[in-house]
Amino acid sequence: SINPMEFNPDFLACMIPEVEWALLLEAADTLHLVEVPKGLTEGYEHNEKFLREMHQVLLEVEVLEGTLKCSESRGLFPISWGIPNMPLSDEE
Amino acid sequence: MAGAGTWAGPWTAGPVGLPGALVCVRTVMDSNHHSNYKLTKTEKKFLRKQIKARHTLLRHEGVETVSYATQSLVVANGGLGNGVGRSQLLPALEKCGLVDSLLMPPNKPYSFVRYKTAEEARKAYVTLNGKEIVGDLGQKIILYLNFVEKAQWKELGLQALPPGLMVVEEIISSEDEKMLLESVNWAEDIDDQNVQKSLKHRRVKHFGYEFHYENNNVDKDKPLPGGLPDIWDSILEKWLKEGFIKHKPDQLTVNQYEPGHGIPAHIDTHSAFEDEIVSLSLGSEIVMDFKHPDGVTVPVMLPRRSLLVMTGESRYLWTHGITPRKFDTVQASKGHKGGIITSDVGDLTLSKRGIRTSFTFRKVRQTPCNCSYPLVCDSQTKQTSPSLPGSAREASQLEREHVHRVYEEIAGHFSSTRHTPWPRVVDFLKALPSGSLVADVGCGNGKYLGINQDLYMIGCDRSRSLADICGERRFQALVGDALAVPLRSGSCDACLSIAVIHHLATAERRVAALRELVRLLRPGGTALIYVWAMEQEYNKKKSKYLRENRVSQGKEQETDSDAAAVPVSLGGQVPDVGDQDAPCCVPAIPDCPGEGGNTSDVTDARLPVHTNRTSFHAQDLLVPWHHKGSPGKDKPVGAAGSAPGAVFHRYYHVFREGELEAACQTLSGVHLLQSYYDQGNWCVVLQKV
Repeated sequence: SINPMEFNPDFLACMIPEVEWALLLEAADTLHLVEVPKGLTEGYEHNEKFLREMHQVLLEVEVLEGTLKCSESRGLFPISWGIPNMPLSDEE
Repeated sequence: MAGAGTWAGPWTAGPVGLPGALVCVRTVMDSNHHSNYKLTKTEKKFLRKQIKARHTLLRHEGVETVSYATQSLVVANGGLGNGVGRSQLLPALEKCGLVDSLLMPPNKPYSFVRYKTAEEARKAYVTLNGKEIVGDLGQKIILYLNFVEKAQWKELGLQALPPGLMVVEEIISSEDEKMLLESVNWAEDIDDQNVQKSLKHRRVKHFGYEFHYENNNVDKDKPLPGGLPDIWDSILEKWLKEGFIKHKPDQLTVNQYEPGHGIPAHIDTHSAFEDEIVSLSLGSEIVMDFKHPDGVTVPVMLPRRSLLVMTGESRYLWTHGITPRKFDTVQASKGHKGGIITSDVGDLTLSKRGIRTSFTFRKVRQTPCNCSYPLVCDSQTKQTSPSLPGSAREASQLEREHVHRVYEEIAGHFSSTRHTPWPRVVDFLKALPSGSLVADVGCGNGKYLGINQDLYMIGCDRSRSLADICGERRFQALVGDALAVPLRSGSCDACLSIAVIHHLATAERRVAALRELVRLLRPGGTALIYVWAMEQEYNKKKSKYLRENRVSQGKEQETDSDAAAVPVSLGGQVPDVGDQDAPCCVPAIPDCPGEGGNTSDVTDARLPVHTNRTSFHAQDLLVPWHHKGSPGKDKPVGAAGSAPGAVFHRYYHVFREGELEAACQTLSGVHLLQSYYDQGNWCVVLQKV
């Protein structure tokens, strides 16, 4: 689902450098999202379109039901009502 | 002191910003001191004390004084709590004018008086300020008066006697009382098998079966010869016939209490005695305190020659005890009638204790107890009662049973009592740079997730139900374990761990949780950690947890370190919970090990069950939570839809001073930035190097 959130470019400007692009793109792909920037471009801080697209993918898009897959352990963690369930299992 | 000069008028502040009160005093004294405007040493000293009283009242009691004259005054140092009775204070006040009402809150070192007119109040202010009166034990007491807007004390909710409790008055005639008291032979007798011991606080004698204070039980295989003294046969028959008791007792304990003696709060061991326990008070009346595991305390007057009957809940669930003191706070209007002492502070006074001898009759149980209060029943908890874990596996199990499962069940109710953010946590969050990524490990109902809109906060909690509540509030949250937080190392600018680590059952696990927080932080990132302190009284101030012993029924309660409901305050924070109960101090009942009572065996590794809103006596314990069901929520309250009224025990390890710091010092790659005590919690701020 897409939940509208207040657009705050300054806040985004702090978050964007931290983004792991490969993972973001992979997730976006799984969700069949379009309009997702492929990476940082020069002067991104002032690029309104870029910022708005990032705003949407980072803050507004929300997975309500789904699964998170751990690339290392192959563990599957369900997401329900937007909350991922990732407790320690009994064996750990 | 500012020199000669003009005083602009009676109510303006003095040149050095002295409160208006000073000016008031000066105005009166002026006439006696002609043109000398310098204060004498005594005047200065008095003034300091008056100001100090005013500050103490505001800071500790929420009593706000004003510098202009009103009808009402607070009389500092003139209260039931510091040995000033109504009969000492009222006459002194009445000399100054018509007293509308005198409110003397129990156990407080101050009172409120309201006069008919402000003029009379002003007269009292001037006349009585710094005046010496004589207290209940003949001691000299100096009163300090200040004006208040209103003389009021929030009334406590209507109290009821604990269920199953009855006080039968005048059950013994005066002649019989004399005879029965004389029948007790207190003389030391080495051969006397009725084992009369002199306990630290009182004299005791047993008949029928000896009561052992080491384990709070009787030896059922070794009855004492002679049984109950013959003198009681006809009396017990009479009580049976008249229906005051239902069973013939076979055990008698005689206790003699001198003024100043008491007995710690306890429940009579379930497995030792049957339901009905009756106690006859001769020689003097007494006030006995009954306390519900919830923290609700009901003071009950037991008049002379009355019979106290405890059955059901009052026998099995409520503790009873007598505070060691020389005076009881009693109801002025009711005199010596039995029953609950009013909470109406306009009707309280002190009553000096005399020597009281109690005769407690009980019937020894021959089978294990099967009452409906298993959590406080020694028969029923013997197998299942948890003890301190010896391994990670045991620790994990303890946490699962007494932390995770409990929070799952109580989530809704718990969340409704957790709405006030701690100010210093808010400060920490607000000081973080905009755009910071913050992990709240153990976020509960998301109390802190929305505090600072400029942060990106992710909550992590072990409880699915609580994480759901965060989701409902549109916060980002996930279900995860504090020992293995599913977030990338070095990804967080800051972390919170508020009231979480004290739920981990071994020192290793607690340190591991700290290590996790450090792992999450990027270099230079900071973590704020709060844990419940063992020391609930610090720098002579009681924490909110201790102060708020609300005698309420059916109201919301915040029963642990997160409690932030504010006591009655005229100028402080807005009370959050919205209930009107006033705080009242629980009279301290000192811990007297081995003297009757439910203190757990020292050799037993079983975790003790804590009584809410009292000081901690152990570091590892179970704290009761009384489930009330979540008001106004549609979803069923717990995964299993647990019924309101159920009691849950949450495991806690409360930290001693320095313990959290020491744990942090075992971590590598961190600086300890701050370490402080905040309302019953030990707190640290760590920074990753």
